[in-house]
Amino acid sequence: MADQEQPLSAAQRSRIRRLSQQAEPEPGDVAGELNVVPYLDIITNVMMFVLASVTVAFVASIDTTPPSIGGNKVRADVSSKALNLSAWITAGGVSLKKSDGNIATGCENLGSGVTVPCEGPAYDAQNVIAPNWTAAMTTLRGCAKKLKNARPEFKEETQVTIAASPGIEYRQVIDVMDALRTDGEEDLFPEVHFGVAK
Amino acid sequence: VSSVRPQPAKKAQASVVRYKAALRKSIRRNAKDPEIDFLNITAMLDLMTIILVFLLKSMAASSASIPQSKDLSLPGSFMTSEAAQDGVVVVISKSQILVGDDPSPIVTLPSREQLAQSGVDAKFKRSGPNDLYIVPLANALSHARDTDKAIRMAKGLDPSTSEAIIVADSTTPYRLLIEVLFTAGQSEFGKYHLMVLSGRKR
Repeated sequence: MADQEQPLSAAQRSRIRRLSQQAEPEPGDVAGELNVVPYLDIITNVMMFVLASVTVAFVASIDTTPPSIGGNKVRADVSSKALNLSAWITAGGVSLKKSDGNIATGCENLGSGVTVPCEGPAYDAQNVIAPNWTAAMTTLRGCAKKLKNARPEFKEETQVTIAASPGIEYRQVIDVMDALRTDGEEDLFPEVHFGVAK
Repeated sequence: VSSVRPQPAKKAQASVVRYKAALRKSIRRNAKDPEIDFLNITAMLDLMTIILVFLLKSMAASSASIPQSKDLSLPGSFMTSEAAQDGVVVVISKSQILVGDDPSPIVTLPSREQLAQSGVDAKFKRSGPNDLYIVPLANALSHARDTDKAIRMAKGLDPSTSEAIIVADSTTPYRLLIEVLFTAGQSEFGKYHLMVLSGRKR
């Protein structure tokens, strides 16, 4: 009984203090963690180069059919009373033609002349669209809408044939296609076919 | 002579039982819940790496990965529809024509003035400079058509005609564009998808 009442000695207290302390884990030894800092540095650098080198461009596609030479063979059959719209792009503007003849300048009556005249280059050396070409496309869109709404039976038509002079640039053709396809509110002539002069 | 040395006086110590009880008590007192002073991001990194790989793969496979350069820049359009994915890709850049994944040019293009006059060189044409049929392009397209035909049959699609994705530079003359489209039409390609940059503002 005397032994049990003996208090802890200094050595025993010291040992108890030492053994009861929780050991501090070594750096990088916490829960078996990997040191991912160098890995993150590399990934961040690689990501920056990837993002800088990849140019994200959103693309769309315009569907069309093989070109026909001197006629409208690929177009679906349309009646003789149909609008049968064709557009011819030249350096002087865009000429429109329907079943009964060419549409004169101003898009009012039949007659000679370029329907939507546009002089000068459509794009400048910095690939910026020229204001007169933009204005011509707006006029063309209005003209196409006017033609489509001229008669009730024309409203059913969705096809247009586009042809151009040999030197006309592809982007001008796309601009004309855009102008004839829709005016932003309603579809005008969304089915586009290419034509080639005889 | 006695060899027994005198033992030093033993210091008074508590019993082992008392010592162990005190040790257990001290350990309990010092015990503390493990403090979370780090973020385990290994799982997140695994996830991010896998997502990155899939992202790059899908971007490379999609038609949105059309490279834009001085030699090839697509025209802008108001179109916002989804770009077509199925079809044989025909690239018309400022300097050459490519078909499919083959990086070697099918036709090397002459100057822009000549292209605007009579298209590609007459030596590539079937019957002179006024012909629209480009023989090397037709050969490459017919080879691509055979492959595409087998693919379309395997997919259960109509094998009588194939589709072509036309990726043309914005300054391509209409004459060259028509020559390429005409040649594709002669090679049993009945539908074309003209690729444009979408989302241009009115």
